[in-house]
Amino acid sequence: MADMTKTIASEDVLESGFASREAPLLEVRDLRVHFETQAGTVKAVDGVNWHVHEGETLAIVGESGSGKSVSAMTILGLVPSPPATFPSGKVLLRGRSLLEMPESQQRKLRGNDIAMIFQDPLTALNPVFKVGDQIAEMVLSHQSISKAGARKKAVDLLGEVGIPNPRARALQYPHEFSGGMRQRAMIAMALANDPQVLLADEPTTALDVTVQAQIMQLLVDLQESRGTAIVLITHDLGLVASHADRIAVMYAGRIVETGTTDEIFSTPRHAYTYGLLSSLARMDHARPDKLEPIPGQPPSLSRVPSGCAFHPRCAFATDACMEDIPALLPIVEHSGHMHACIHPDDVAAAHAAPKPAAVTAEVKVDLGKPPVVEVSKLVKHFPIKAGLLFRREVGSVQAVNGIDIEIEPGTTLSLVGESGCGKSTAARSILRLQEPTSGTVRLGGKEITSLNAQSLRKARENMQIVFQDPYASLNPRMTIRQILTEKFQLLGGTVTDTTISDLLDTVGLSAEYADRYPHEFSGGQRQRVGIARAIALNPKFVVLDEPVSALDVSIQAQILNLLENLQVEFGLTYLFIAHDLSVVRHISDRVAVMYLGGIVELADRDDLFERPQHPYTQALISAVPIPDPAVERARERIMLVGDVPNPANPPSGCRFRTRCWKHLELSEADKQRCIDVEPKLEFTPTSPRHTVACHFSGERQVLRGEPVEA
Amino acid sequence: MSSLPPTSGESEAVGTSDPVRSSGSADSARSASAVDAKLPKRRRSGSPGQFRDIWNRYRRNKLALVGTFIVGLLVFLAIFEPILTPFDPFEQNLLNTTAPPDSRHFFGTDVLGRDMFSAIIYGAKLAVIVGVVTVLMSLLVGVVFGAIAGFRGKFWDTLIMRLTDIFLAFPLIIGAILVVRTFGAGITPVIIALVVFGWATTARLMRGQTLALRESEYVEAARSIGASDGRIILRHIMPNAIAPVLVYAFTNIGVVVVAMASLSFLGVGVPANVPEWGRMLSQAYGFIKVPGQSHLWAFPALAICITTLGFAFVADGLRDALDPKLRGGN
Amino acid sequence: MGKFILRRVGQAVIVVLAAILLVYVATYALGDPFASTGDRQVPPEIAAQNRAIFGLDQPLPIQYINYIGNLVTGDLGLDFDQRRPVIDMLGAVVPNTARLALVAILIDVAIGVIAGIIAAVKRYSFADVLVTVVSTVAIGVPTFVIGLGLLAFLSGVGPFPVVPRSFTDQVPWYQEVLLPAFALAIIDAAFVARLMRGSMLEVLRADYIRTARAKGVSERRVIGVHALRNSIIPVVTYVGVSLGTLLGGAIITEAIFQYDGVGYLLFRAIGSNNAPVISAVIVFGVIAYTVLSLIVDILYAFLDPRIRLN
Repeated sequence: MADMTKTIASEDVLESGFASREAPLLEVRDLRVHFETQAGTVKAVDGVNWHVHEGETLAIVGESGSGKSVSAMTILGLVPSPPATFPSGKVLLRGRSLLEMPESQQRKLRGNDIAMIFQDPLTALNPVFKVGDQIAEMVLSHQSISKAGARKKAVDLLGEVGIPNPRARALQYPHEFSGGMRQRAMIAMALANDPQVLLADEPTTALDVTVQAQIMQLLVDLQESRGTAIVLITHDLGLVASHADRIAVMYAGRIVETGTTDEIFSTPRHAYTYGLLSSLARMDHARPDKLEPIPGQPPSLSRVPSGCAFHPRCAFATDACMEDIPALLPIVEHSGHMHACIHPDDVAAAHAAPKPAAVTAEVKVDLGKPPVVEVSKLVKHFPIKAGLLFRREVGSVQAVNGIDIEIEPGTTLSLVGESGCGKSTAARSILRLQEPTSGTVRLGGKEITSLNAQSLRKARENMQIVFQDPYASLNPRMTIRQILTEKFQLLGGTVTDTTISDLLDTVGLSAEYADRYPHEFSGGQRQRVGIARAIALNPKFVVLDEPVSALDVSIQAQILNLLENLQVEFGLTYLFIAHDLSVVRHISDRVAVMYLGGIVELADRDDLFERPQHPYTQALISAVPIPDPAVERARERIMLVGDVPNPANPPSGCRFRTRCWKHLELSEADKQRCIDVEPKLEFTPTSPRHTVACHFSGERQVLRGEPVEA
Repeated sequence: MSSLPPTSGESEAVGTSDPVRSSGSADSARSASAVDAKLPKRRRSGSPGQFRDIWNRYRRNKLALVGTFIVGLLVFLAIFEPILTPFDPFEQNLLNTTAPPDSRHFFGTDVLGRDMFSAIIYGAKLAVIVGVVTVLMSLLVGVVFGAIAGFRGKFWDTLIMRLTDIFLAFPLIIGAILVVRTFGAGITPVIIALVVFGWATTARLMRGQTLALRESEYVEAARSIGASDGRIILRHIMPNAIAPVLVYAFTNIGVVVVAMASLSFLGVGVPANVPEWGRMLSQAYGFIKVPGQSHLWAFPALAICITTLGFAFVADGLRDALDPKLRGGN
Repeated sequence: MGKFILRRVGQAVIVVLAAILLVYVATYALGDPFASTGDRQVPPEIAAQNRAIFGLDQPLPIQYINYIGNLVTGDLGLDFDQRRPVIDMLGAVVPNTARLALVAILIDVAIGVIAGIIAAVKRYSFADVLVTVVSTVAIGVPTFVIGLGLLAFLSGVGPFPVVPRSFTDQVPWYQEVLLPAFALAIIDAAFVARLMRGSMLEVLRADYIRTARAKGVSERRVIGVHALRNSIIPVVTYVGVSLGTLLGGAIITEAIFQYDGVGYLLFRAIGSNNAPVISAVIVFGVIAYTVLSLIVDILYAFLDPRIRLN
């Protein structure tokens, strides 16, 4: 009975809510998508309503498993049934009900009225057909046009999405395109028939941040010129803040809060929305004391908690939260801002409460002590071999091209850069997990690079690594106890009855987990095991190779806090490898920016973010969206052109010059200098701890809209 | 961890920042349930849950159960052959040849007057011994060479892979004929021949597995805590690489049994007086169209079929149980 | 691309040379073709005389080089029984084997590919279960049992000629090839069906299939163009290699049906201990297999643009 009244109530709200505005272009009503599995019914989407207007961008935000993609897939009929069932739901495109149409009619709408782009443009394009033909096929499927005409249209479209030399490119295969190019090609395909709605499922997640900025800008431009409605499905709140008009936040298959972007970010009313926002590291904030992670993990969709699905992880939950599923209700009558939380006032109060002062945590350098890690002129080249019968070396990929780093005891140095810049290779070469081509590494004054195999194994006690992928870094056939005990066996140290349980306790895992296998754990828990393995036997130095980038937002904060606690507790020295500048701003003491095998800028954290000197650093920082629509509106982005060059054949002189925005503004003589002379890292006038490798370096404020007062 | 079922993999799983990894469908369902510390208590010691899962998946495959029964029966026959044979399988009786089945000779007698029932059981023993010994030896050689090629890379990889190219250029039977003709007829030459031309596939399979795992992060992790190459191969690569190799080996037992029978059928396998299934068939060849003599070829043919099917069913079941994603693949 | 082919051809040549060495050593150096066997007694002086005639008294490397040299000029020596040129004996039977191999491959591809596609597209349906079970069983049954079964029940029935072949009646080749081709095709078709099914199922899960559906392309085109073009690649590889094996002589099947091909020649040569013929047929088999593998590799590069660059 209670359920019924609720349903009616929410429908009333919907009717009245829409009555006040023009009819939406695309509308999803009470959609349910369930999957029958052996583990029970998985309610991937469980009663979801959303709509999008012409020219508008709606963002559907959620963590993995929240059901955010499934509702979009359902619209296009891409969810196979069986196993999926659709207990209820309507999809209306300009009032026409899609799901009730015969399949042949639905197909006519797909790609024509509603188009979609996907996360991974490599796997989303058919590898055996030419890119141009794949776009032409989209045209041919919906327009009466000759094959030649469709091919010509494909070339035009490629040109329109900013692919240079489109005529030649159309004849290439997807693998000959870079990641960003492929996503452009996907967009060209999606736009081929001028659709009314574009569903973009994590369109930039697989891309580097500077490329992400290009792609998002392209989408914005196309939306402006064509009036396309965009449904942006993403986990990235920063992207949402800068690009969405309205937001729907999903949790465990339901929308828990929806409203305009400003409403969601400035006055969140659902505890989950609030939790997401406060667990985010922000690039424009100097380091707060601690992130506030959401405890636990998102629930299994086959065992969703009773009542509000979020209550087991919620700081505000009361017994009432466990009883009924709260309905999505407007904050005031007829408002578009709706939430499904019983305690909106508590959330509002928590949001309004002053945060623990964002102390610009003073950099904890201990200038008196010698650095723990000294890396000098480190080079790692991978030979390229070719030849008919006998493979000769014909060149090399210059992954790391002479880098110098020093890390002071108890501090964190971050090595940041886009994929392929050599940061992970550098880390592995420092640890000699890959043999460096040349250069020296010293750990606590002892040279690592000259050790023989046996001494190297012993030396590993003091240099450890936490890997990026918690799913791949634990041997699936060993229990957690075996994994951890192995280190003691190999590096000495005694394992007593309590050793393993103490270790697990240190990383926040219950001792009873010790005899389980890795596959029984979630990603975050596995990463804790990886950390436990690294910190066992108290190493001096730990490399953190993108330790949180494979994790959900709410879990990232848990792991980051753990890493910080451990650093303080055990005096660990970290080398943090990352591409996510927000996390870097949070965790680092010093930051080194890498581009194509070399360090282009190295500075103390705040100095780097507030006063970046290198044009690449500036472009990188400006490309990272900040999860605050107010800040985002005031910021400008520096667009880099093209892709990262091939490290087997880097540009002469300054390696960044081919993409450099500043280079374009220089006089011919100055340009020639960039081409001829490779810039070396030199001290900047502003700080004795800030070096930059640019002939024409100069400060540019890119973090916020207007320059901060010095 | 995506908690969606595998069939919906197209939809949500790829749309997230969370890499969905090699853990199978059942794994993902379970790990997702590992939420918030409280899992039902599992027995701590004994076989890990993985084996029970494998057994549970295996059990559901009815053909695999049939195969298990057949393999069990064959092993039983092989072990108790001296007790189970009512007659000496070698004993010829030229006064009573090609007799149809009766209550004394259940399967009749063959062209040399041997008791077919005893001969078939003896043939089963031969098949099991040759099948198992050959496959174990190929496995040993293949795994060692494959692991070296995959782990060492460079020179060793090139050398071993070119070597496999050469041996794989011979169709199994043709290659085996060459070896058996050189070393003379007999069980041992047959086993040697089948190993010489059988190890290469195992080696390639093992190399592929090793190569993939060598680059895996958990092998790198083992190296980062000071594990030696030997330990990495034995403790980290081998247990994870071996499953598909073992499945292949099981499939291969059937192939070996057929190959031995083929060689004997062609007259190059075991000596003519040994009651081996292929030999029996070749001796029955002239009687195929003779009415009333079908027992001469039907029993050995059936015996070979049942044996190879038994091993094939078990191998199929194992493959599906070990990795649900491989189901129906090659 | 040209470099890739050159490189592959180079490898194939080395493989063939090494394989021939193996064959030669096994036949003429380790085994003694003129030694006495159970049913044939050879006096030592005649054996020595024979060795001289066949050039086997020279050092092994010289023998090998001579053998290779002769091979290149199409000279495979004389056979032991009647001193006929082996190349002529081989030349007489190769066309028969080629016909048999091609017919068998055609049958198995037609059955296998169609059954595999149906099983994959209609997954879990009755057709799928049928294909899966039948192919599992068919793969488990050895060729020569199938051959013997066909021989026992079908030879002399309807269009299928009597075995052993009669020398009085001339049977057209297409009738003669039927039974052995079926015997060979049944198992291979089962393999192809499984391979096709597995490959198709995997491809149907791929993101680009989802993209094709999202484009509004008809389901027939999704399966017949996008999925088929990708999933056929492993099938082509398998079929090519399989053809290579069959060309080298399906010895069992040809022996059972007394089909006058390469395999039957080998069978008879084994029976009469005719070493030059045996080694020649094996060498021919190795070359046929290697050449077909080579063609498959090159074809693969055309089918999958991703590997063209390497």
